[in-house]
Amino acid sequence: MRTKLLAYSEDRSWAAQIKSLSDSIKAEASIFLPKKEIAEKVSGLYEEIYYSDLENFDPLAYISAFFEVAKLLSPEVAVFPCTGKGRILAGLFSAKNSKSVATDVYNVQSKENNLIAKRLVYGGKAEVDLELKIPATICLLHGSYVEAKANVESRFNKVIKPNASCRVIFTPKKVEGMEPDKAEVVVVAGRGVKTKNDLRMIMELAELLKGAWSVTRPLAVDEGWAESWIGISGLMVSPKLYIGIGVSGQPHHMMGARSSKIVVAINKDRNAPIFDECDYGIVGDLYVVLPEMIKKLKNMKQK
Amino acid sequence: MKILVALKPTYDINQLKFDSEGVPLLETCPITLGEADKCALEEALRIKESNKAIVIAVTVGESQSHIKGIRDALAMGADEGYLIKMKNAWNISSIAVAKAIASFAQLTGPYDVIFTGAGAGDTHSSIIGPMISALLDFRLIAGADQVEVSENMVKATCKMEDGTYYYESDLPVVITVTSEANEPRIPTLKAIIRSKSMPIKEVDPSVLSLSVEEFKDLKVLKHSIERKRIILEASDQKSAEESVEKIITFLKSEGVI
Ligand SMILES: Cc1cc2nc3c(=O)[nH]c(=O)nc-3n(C[C@H](O)[C@H](O)[C@H](O)COP(=O)(O)OP(=O)(O)OC[C@H]3O[C@@H](n4cnc5c(N)ncnc54)[C@H](O)[C@@H]3O)c2cc1C
Ligand SMILES: Nc1ncnc2c1ncn2[C@@H]1O[C@H](COP(=O)(O)O)[C@@H](O)[C@H]1O
Repeated sequence: MRTKLLAYSEDRSWAAQIKSLSDSIKAEASIFLPKKEIAEKVSGLYEEIYYSDLENFDPLAYISAFFEVAKLLSPEVAVFPCTGKGRILAGLFSAKNSKSVATDVYNVQSKENNLIAKRLVYGGKAEVDLELKIPATICLLHGSYVEAKANVESRFNKVIKPNASCRVIFTPKKVEGMEPDKAEVVVVAGRGVKTKNDLRMIMELAELLKGAWSVTRPLAVDEGWAESWIGISGLMVSPKLYIGIGVSGQPHHMMGARSSKIVVAINKDRNAPIFDECDYGIVGDLYVVLPEMIKKLKNMKQK
Repeated sequence: MKILVALKPTYDINQLKFDSEGVPLLETCPITLGEADKCALEEALRIKESNKAIVIAVTVGESQSHIKGIRDALAMGADEGYLIKMKNAWNISSIAVAKAIASFAQLTGPYDVIFTGAGAGDTHSSIIGPMISALLDFRLIAGADQVEVSENMVKATCKMEDGTYYYESDLPVVITVTSEANEPRIPTLKAIIRSKSMPIKEVDPSVLSLSVEEFKDLKVLKHSIERKRIILEASDQKSAEESVEKIITFLKSEGVI
């Protein structure tokens, strides 16, 4: 009998990645999404799509809707995205079943009746193989699996909206330009960038590369130059190209960019840890290198 | 009001090194209380100051670092400190930790608020708080950057991947606090000396009725990603121009620009 897998997602990209994971272990996958509009976007990826009409993120209400589906299907594996919300829901779900969660998982294999999950720990500096007894709960890292293609006929099933557990008011984040977790190129400023005004150069480079810009946590939290940042406590991205400028490359930050296809670093310190995990690096002053890069790319564009 | 704060001493992973076989050298890695955990404790202490509350600090583990962590919490101002004596605390599964804290809360409660860090400093799974909420049927506020607790309600702001959530919830509640929430106080010398004479109470896990599976095969090894590591120099204007030229050519042939 095939393993039954139940996924949670809030968008198509995650839904498609979890579907790939599911295919790779030959599981029979269904998915739950909080809202109808999002559910419609994953049409063709899963045969059974469950949705509710949940409003702003209320963890306990969201998990009770997910539970309704789980009661119906009795899945052996539940998979959540390794995002802020996904982690919260995974914790709530697994504890009700008295089971552990494997978070930060980037690979899953089946072994007899159980699963072996590869998990990153210590900010991605180290890895662990976990033998998960079924039923298991997993939080999957972004970019670990390529997105599956839509190739099935989907049936849509509505789950009744559970009661709210609290009052919620939501303010969507303001994004200047593209959203880093959806872009193919992400240019990141670190503390080597000295003033808020200098961020303009970062934005300009991002725009020339048709990508998004972001920052490391100190620039968002201590300086307040941006609303979000890249890293384990911020956004996890997996673009084709990540460029870190004046970023030292500490593990908590790099964890959020580990699955980028190509990593480029510009830093004046040859010993910065980011040079150990980049494909291409320039050791130099960003105030010299960056204007040069912008100039060259502009010239290229004009030709 | 009675408040529990769960604290985890964590490795400073920026300083973590590996041996030639890729085994992490944990013995030589410095350990301190997680940043977010200290912020969680700070929130509890602020409630105590404005609302009259008793603040209990607890950790799961029995190593010297765990004892030191609770000692630090007492110095900061916690009223009582507990050690749940589980062996091998670094390796037990998240559900084991969550269950230990939840049953401890049942034994020593009832609590109005249970605080944890939003993520542990080293493993940062961010799931222990939600698990405790599920185990005890408490409300949950996860990832709070701002918290305000009154007699019967909590108001909190949480920044998440898609924006900012403002919550108002009843008690009892589990609140997980980010390291952005506040500046944790630094204990005075007097407080440190006073804390040295305060008892750290030990809890035998057998009284907590735990029966949980554990992860097997916990073999932690260095994770290396295959990267090309082609490093160019740009010590002056001329070498900067050349290096940029080369990088652009590389990126074009990679097909990423
Ligand atoms: C639990 C926890 C979670 C965390 N989560 C995150 C997270 O999600 N995201 C995150 O980013 N951080 C996170 N951090 C913080 C993280 O550990 C680092 O402190 C942070 O990423 C460092 O940011 P930075 O690289 O911008 O600054 P720094 O480490 O100060 O590095 C600045 C770099 O700029 C270089 N530089 C300076 N001037 C120039 C110049 N003119 N030209 C070129 N280079 C220059 C320097 O050589 C240096 O390497 C977390 C920490 C903890 C404890
Ligand atoms: N061994 C432990 N003892 C006490 N509290 C813990 C322990 N492990 C985790 N916690 C708490 O749970 C929070 C989140 O941990 P985690 O889910 O592992 O990221 C930490 O910030 C602590 O507040």
